[in-house]
Amino acid sequence: MTNVMQGIRVLEVAQFTFVPAAGAILADWGADVIKVEHPIRGDTQRGFLNMGGVTLDPLRHTLIEHPNRGKRSIGIDTSTPEGQEVLYELAKTADVFLTNFLPHVRQKNKFDIEHIRAVNPNIIYARGSAFGNKGPERAKGGFDGTSFWSRSGIANAMTPVEMEGPLSQGIPAFGDSIGGMFIAGGISAALLHRERTGEATELDVSLLSSAWWASGAVITQLMETGIQTRNAMPISGGSARNPFMGNFRTSDGGTINFCMVSPTGLIEDTFSMVGAPEAAKDPRFADPLLLIENAGAASDILVKAFAQKPFAYWREHLKSMKGQWAPIQNFEDLLTDQATLDNDMIIEVEGADGGKPMRLVRGPVQFNGEPLQTTRAPQASEHTELILMELGMEWDKIEEYKAAGAIA
Amino acid sequence: MKPGTRLKSAACDTEVMIIRCGSGTIACGGAAMAEAKPAEAAPLSADFATGTLMGKRYVDAAGAFELLCVKPGKGSLSVDGTALTTKDAKPLPASD
Repeated sequence: MTNVMQGIRVLEVAQFTFVPAAGAILADWGADVIKVEHPIRGDTQRGFLNMGGVTLDPLRHTLIEHPNRGKRSIGIDTSTPEGQEVLYELAKTADVFLTNFLPHVRQKNKFDIEHIRAVNPNIIYARGSAFGNKGPERAKGGFDGTSFWSRSGIANAMTPVEMEGPLSQGIPAFGDSIGGMFIAGGISAALLHRERTGEATELDVSLLSSAWWASGAVITQLMETGIQTRNAMPISGGSARNPFMGNFRTSDGGTINFCMVSPTGLIEDTFSMVGAPEAAKDPRFADPLLLIENAGAASDILVKAFAQKPFAYWREHLKSMKGQWAPIQNFEDLLTDQATLDNDMIIEVEGADGGKPMRLVRGPVQFNGEPLQTTRAPQASEHTELILMELGMEWDKIEEYKAAGAIA
Repeated sequence: MKPGTRLKSAACDTEVMIIRCGSGTIACGGAAMAEAKPAEAAPLSADFATGTLMGKRYVDAAGAFELLCVKPGKGSLSVDGTALTTKDAKPLPASD
């Protein structure tokens, strides 16, 4: 496997998903990621008992595995001077310091940028936050449900005005997983910059800035035109201007999505594929401008056509259609989707309970088309002694730190 | 025994690293553990056969022993016949 981050060490002092997910992506790419956890409690995410009505197994903890696979864990109490000593010893050997602890904790426990740079001036210092590192709200925390989804405008834009209230994020750690990838991308660029110029930078990604970027097309349009757009209520039919953009209900209540933004060259094929060849010859739809002008009539034809046959038929039949379309699948469908399988999107790691392997979701980037091999997420403090012995620390010293409660 | 020492089970695949060691006989699967594996495997005692988990720490009630499992196996760990238990993180409760 091509490990593009081979030889890079990341020291992660972070919890939950957003920032640890960045560490997981870098570990996937071959970095040695050391996760610092509280010696007694571990990452607070380990305490998640329920998720979406599902009870989580601490030994097969999906919400720990997703953002922590491929790492090692060391138990350090960073609130003690001895724990800080150990952290600094590790920081000396690291290329990247990655954290989402709030500024007052970083100050109190002395792992803010000035403390870490004092022991390693060449370290890249990466912060993940709720709202950004400037302004009074840098001191405040947040989750993706608050910062990425709610405050950002996404919840509002996703929800049709006719609905009683805003849609919730629906997918746990959705904004976190997206934002974590952004941090990993930023760190990669910072490493390249340091390699070329010798300058170590600090970098910031917030959940709000992640949402801001992800919504950039519509926010830019708003800034330019003053017009705010939101989702429309779901209907079976094409959009008001382009009948080849929209969702169409099948005879058994499934849905097929058309997304032919640019219908040139697709009109005849599309009507033929949905079983309306007469529409393909209809002068009202002879070219894209006429199609746009007569969008309502074209949409009606498509709605009727899709209602004739079930979802499974359309999903198979439309495979040879020229234009862009998709079946509206659920995640279970996605597990057996040929593209998922062809592109090695599922990774397998051993179960910490010694049982069957766990299947995890691969990150979005692939190098040289190779499948990914990695290891399961660590148990809390699993590698404390191994990491410290690797640093060359004598056992007596390790014992001393243990006795002081600084490590576990 | 010196911390950092690796011990092997005579009855299964288990290997542990000694993190803390009091006085007593460390066994796995009912058979005493040693730095080298015996030429002939010891039988796995049914009383000590619940298995070890990779990366888990095993401790006694008195806090005199702590063993880190570095290779899992079918036997379970004990000191002088008393089973060791896993040392687990005690996270703060959370839920969605």
